[in-house]
Amino acid sequence: MIGGLFIYNHKGEVLISRVYRDDIGNRRNAVDAFRVNVIHARQQVRSPVTNIARTSFFHVKRSNIWLAAVTKQNVNAAMVFEFLYKMCDVMAAYFGKISEENIKNNFVLIYELLDEILDFGYPQNSETGALKTFITQQGIKSQHQTKEEQSQITSQVTGQIGWRREGIKYRRNELFLDVLESVNLLMSPQGQVLSAHVSGRVVMKSYLSGMPECKFGMNDKIVIEKQGKGTADETGKSGKQSIAIDDCTFHQCVRLSKFDSERSISFIPPDGEFELMRYRTTKDIILPFRVIPLVREVGRTKLEVKVVIKSNFKPSLLAQKIEVRIPTPLNTSGVQVICMKGKAKYKASENAIVWKIKRMAGMKESQISAEIELLPTNDKKKWARPPISMNFEVPFAPSGLKVRYLKVFEPKLNYSDHDVIKWVRYIGRSGIYETRC
Amino acid sequence: MPAVSKGDGMRGLAVFISDIRNCKSKEAEIKRINKELANIRSKFKGDKALDGYSKKKYVCKLLFIFLLGHDIDFGHMEAVNLLSSNKYTEKQIGYLFISVLVNSTSELIRLINNGVKNDLTSRNPTFMCLALHCIANVGSREMGEAFAADIPRILVAGDSMDSVKQSAALCLLRLYKASPDLVPMGEWTARVVHLLNDQHMGVVTAAVSLITCLCKKNPEDFKTCVSLAVSRLSRIVSSASTDLQDYTYYFVPAPWLSVKLLRLLQCYAPPEDAAVKGRLVECLETVLNKAQEPPKSKKVQHSNAKNAVLFETISLIIHYDSEPNLLVRACNQLGQFLQHRETNLRYLALESMCTLASSEFSHEAVKTHIDTVINALKTERDVSVRQRAADLLYAMCDRSNAKQIVSEMLRYLETADYAIREEIVLKVAILAEKYAVDYSWYVDTILNLIRIAGDYVSEEVWYRVLQIVTNRDDVQGYAAKTVFEALQAPACHENMVKVGGYILGEFGNLIAGDPRSSPPVQFSLLHSKFHLCSVATRALLLSTYIKFINLFPETKATIQAVLRAGSQLRNADVELQQRAVEYLTLSSIASTDVLATVLEEMPPFPERESSILAKLKRKKGPGAASTLDDGRREPGPGGDVNGGVEPAPSAGSTPSPSADLLGLRAAPPPAAPPAPPSAGSLLVDVFSDSLGPSPEEAFLSELEPPAPESPRALLADQAPAADPAAEDPGIPIPEADGLLNKFVCKNNGVLFENALLQIGVKSEFRQNLGRMYLFYGNKTSVQFQNFCATVTHPGDLQTQLVVQTKQVPGQVDGGAQVQQVLNIECLRDFLMPPLLTVRFRYGGTPQAFTLKLPVTINKFFQPTEMAAQDFFQRWKQLSLPQQEAQKIFQANHPMDSEVTKAKLLGFGSALLDNVDPNPENYVGAGIVQTKALQVGCLLRLEPNAQAQMYRLTLRTSKESVSRHLCELLAEQF
Repeated sequence: MIGGLFIYNHKGEVLISRVYRDDIGNRRNAVDAFRVNVIHARQQVRSPVTNIARTSFFHVKRSNIWLAAVTKQNVNAAMVFEFLYKMCDVMAAYFGKISEENIKNNFVLIYELLDEILDFGYPQNSETGALKTFITQQGIKSQHQTKEEQSQITSQVTGQIGWRREGIKYRRNELFLDVLESVNLLMSPQGQVLSAHVSGRVVMKSYLSGMPECKFGMNDKIVIEKQGKGTADETGKSGKQSIAIDDCTFHQCVRLSKFDSERSISFIPPDGEFELMRYRTTKDIILPFRVIPLVREVGRTKLEVKVVIKSNFKPSLLAQKIEVRIPTPLNTSGVQVICMKGKAKYKASENAIVWKIKRMAGMKESQISAEIELLPTNDKKKWARPPISMNFEVPFAPSGLKVRYLKVFEPKLNYSDHDVIKWVRYIGRSGIYETRC
Repeated sequence: MPAVSKGDGMRGLAVFISDIRNCKSKEAEIKRINKELANIRSKFKGDKALDGYSKKKYVCKLLFIFLLGHDIDFGHMEAVNLLSSNKYTEKQIGYLFISVLVNSTSELIRLINNGVKNDLTSRNPTFMCLALHCIANVGSREMGEAFAADIPRILVAGDSMDSVKQSAALCLLRLYKASPDLVPMGEWTARVVHLLNDQHMGVVTAAVSLITCLCKKNPEDFKTCVSLAVSRLSRIVSSASTDLQDYTYYFVPAPWLSVKLLRLLQCYAPPEDAAVKGRLVECLETVLNKAQEPPKSKKVQHSNAKNAVLFETISLIIHYDSEPNLLVRACNQLGQFLQHRETNLRYLALESMCTLASSEFSHEAVKTHIDTVINALKTERDVSVRQRAADLLYAMCDRSNAKQIVSEMLRYLETADYAIREEIVLKVAILAEKYAVDYSWYVDTILNLIRIAGDYVSEEVWYRVLQIVTNRDDVQGYAAKTVFEALQAPACHENMVKVGGYILGEFGNLIAGDPRSSPPVQFSLLHSKFHLCSVATRALLLSTYIKFINLFPETKATIQAVLRAGSQLRNADVELQQRAVEYLTLSSIASTDVLATVLEEMPPFPERESSILAKLKRKKGPGAASTLDDGRREPGPGGDVNGGVEPAPSAGSTPSPSADLLGLRAAPPPAAPPAPPSAGSLLVDVFSDSLGPSPEEAFLSELEPPAPESPRALLADQAPAADPAAEDPGIPIPEADGLLNKFVCKNNGVLFENALLQIGVKSEFRQNLGRMYLFYGNKTSVQFQNFCATVTHPGDLQTQLVVQTKQVPGQVDGGAQVQQVLNIECLRDFLMPPLLTVRFRYGGTPQAFTLKLPVTINKFFQPTEMAAQDFFQRWKQLSLPQQEAQKIFQANHPMDSEVTKAKLLGFGSALLDNVDPNPENYVGAGIVQTKALQVGCLLRLEPNAQAQMYRLTLRTSKESVSRHLCELLAEQF
């Protein structure tokens, strides 16, 4: 039960303040407590949850904007953060980027949204599609709405399928499925994987008429094995390709009872874009790149760095937006870089050498070597050697997830599964992808 | 933003700072700083040498980044390079960087010192000043070591510029404060004093600060400064406001210098030279006169400056304490300030008056302001001023106005701030006791005090009431009556119950005649409070009940019933349970006679320092003690704060208020320790921790013996407990016994030695008389103060041995030795050696330890020669079992016949050869000489070389002597 919600700008000024419950006491005190103890804190506050005077503050930061939910009760922290992220999504859906200016310009809208999606501190419907039907940016329009339209909205929002209205019609029934993954890695200098995991999500964009019933299938190990019992010869073949999903969460449209009993994902999708599921895997991850660092300290005033990156996927695929960041010591006074591919530059403001490659095919390798000159200091502290980090984008799912099918049934309207045009895309991005040196 | 002027300003720096200021977020700022640092690093790294300007600019940037809170670990070398530049701005930035960033452990310190040294020896005054400022700012020990010797030279050099002298004086002051041992005293000190004559006022001001600090350590070296300071002061004071152009501050000529000069004069006693003194008095009068003139300006700075000089003048007058005229004028001046609307002035006036009140000349003058002060206490808004007013009331109190002041303080107590309540309670308690004319008033006041502020009444306060009531017969009845009435209030404080319980238990019989306070009524009144009280109070009440049984036999049944109740007999608290059980048994088995003896009225308490006063002093800290106490201020500096609470001679004219405490001091207790040098003062051992035993403890200790077996035992035990002369000599140090044993067989040697003190002994004994010389050697270089050595007689030794001691001087200089002569006479045989207690203050901390004086019974042992025949005849005569003492023991030392013989001779007996058939054995004889009787003594020592054992047999005509001698001697082998 969220007691209140505040939005601050980077200076700690309150842009939006909405209090739902009296238990957080004096509004001003709570507002100031967060500003003083978190935003203006001497030490950077890294914990997203802060307890000040028996009051809990949950915050997320979007660029320069702080969103803070306040409560005196022992709430489910995950619920609060889920709500805050949803709030960010909703705001982004309404007015784009969350910035101080946008928030100031849309403050009426934001208060309207806050009234709708939180009631006495309990999160309500936060589905953008549904919200957009009755909270519009053109306020005048609602006056022209007919009685029927209004009652329809009411019945939809309060009905069983709150996220989709009836009577949607498209000439072309089309759907897009994106599998977005981010791969995280920490590797030792010798190439040993210290930790690796992939967090992925399946985002769907649907333009379907009526109230279609969809069924989504992927190479989940449990499902494959279940089926494999029936046809013994297939087990060996498909067993390799199946993946073990550690945990997953679904959009509210997914029928969880069915997932629990049959592990099949069936749902009536909302109109437009939504996140169908989120998941995490830790086993059998395909690491798209291998970083091989070589750091040599030559005396007190010189450092030689050589980094080799190897792409580790099908040669036919192309990785994009590759960026390798090699940290430099704090007493660097000059850097010379030579790289065979892409561009490399010493960025003094970030204390790092940044090496960028636009495109790189699979099973290739590339290398950079740098000479770093150091200024002798009277400090005896040794350089801590932070890890080399990497960013990239690859056109496959590093977890190995494959979409097997997405079936659409619409019993009332006469279009079948075959009439729907389906698009599937895989994008693998780097999360925190680091190699120690 | 720094003004960017052409040429000198650093554009790059200004741009950088404005960039930082424009950063939107912390991250952006860090990015900008990182970029700048990398830039500076590459610049410093660059092969081509940087010019002075860029070096200065980058060092400035680094300094700015450091001040923003980032670590800087390079650039020190460049800053040091800047020191050798010839341009002022570059040098200045270099020094700035070094003062801020360089720590003393840096390896660069040698380079820096070199640069500083170059500047110090240069002829350029601005460079010299920069270097001096840097030394003072860093002020580390290393800096001090390197330059402490140079600076005095610069300070007194004839050709130094004024500004350099000024800087040098302040720099030297800083180094002296940081590490006094580094600054060498030499012939320059004499010349520093002459800086007071300098033309330049700035130099004089700096020099006065330095001299004030230096002369605290070596007053003699700077004595000449007094006359110079006086003449300088008189020149300033008599100058018109326009004379000292630059040094006139809002029409006040050189106020800072005047204040400093007056402070300096406070370090010394009044000048002896009549001319100087006359001039000084004239100055002081002028300042007082000027205070009366109408202000030349309405600005607050004018009056502040003027008043600063005035207050400093008044404190100098108070310090001298010899000019009645000036003191009274000062007092009148302060009286005007008491009603000033400026709070600070009122505060300062009250504070100064507190010290004035303690001067005999101005005490009366201060008293005229009593109404104003009382008014201040009531109406003042500022709590600190109220506190000062309370202090002043306390200081100005004497016999004539005590009643008024005490009643005002009591009234104030009801509304007083919690922070100062306890202090006011203590003050009221002290004043009430000190100036009590009749004791009913005293008792009334204290009971009122407990009623109004019971929580703040500490143990000491109510102990003291009980002591006084117990000691004064005439007040006991009244006290019992008042307490009884006070207890009838529905809610009364626990302290009141304690006082009530004690007093009724002791003196309840005095009011028992009145039917309204008949014994059962008294008991039920007390018992009605019983259940609301803490364990300690309940324990006290139980003791009261048993006393009731003695006082009022008719209450016995009721009280026994109470004691028998399960809540007492099975109380979870051990103390309460034990008391209940013991009292119940005592009341049921002892006869009334025994009860009456056991539960007799408490004997009067030995009179001693009021524990309340000690508590108040502890609360205020030793620094405040001299002003708080009624003692007069010590003339001259360096007065010992602790010892000088009440210098006796000057107190002669006014009756010392604490001296007439109940008039009980006429006969001082016999065992009082010989008074230390500031004799005649009751307050001497105020700071030693041995406060008198509380009445509660004494009360209990009387009833101490647990589970009485028989009435006889009770009686026997009571005697020592009730002995009022029990002076607490402290427990002998653990090694005292070992030290004593060393001296059984010899008379001279070192008795005791530790890091501070060595005590040597030389003694001779003849018959029953002895003389002992004790040599106290101070092993440190610091003087011992309040030195005193006393001999006490534990147990009933007093009747057995007389030890007369001569006084030792109160101070023992470092490395010196003092001698004390003791004349000893043995009256009867004795067992315990007397105790020697040595007390002194070493560097402010009190030291005390107790030793056993090496006087044992064998010292009075006279050898007797006799033939074998005689020996055996006597041996047989002393054949009763109790006359013989025998001990078989292991040898602790190698068995050497020569050593053994020497020891036996040293022990005092004669060695008789050819008596024992076995030549290995030793036989001795002698007589123990005491005044009362002589005890013949025969001894036989049989060594067994194989077993390394001895058998020692002693026969004397007295059982205790045999046993004691046997024990003493056995320890020696």
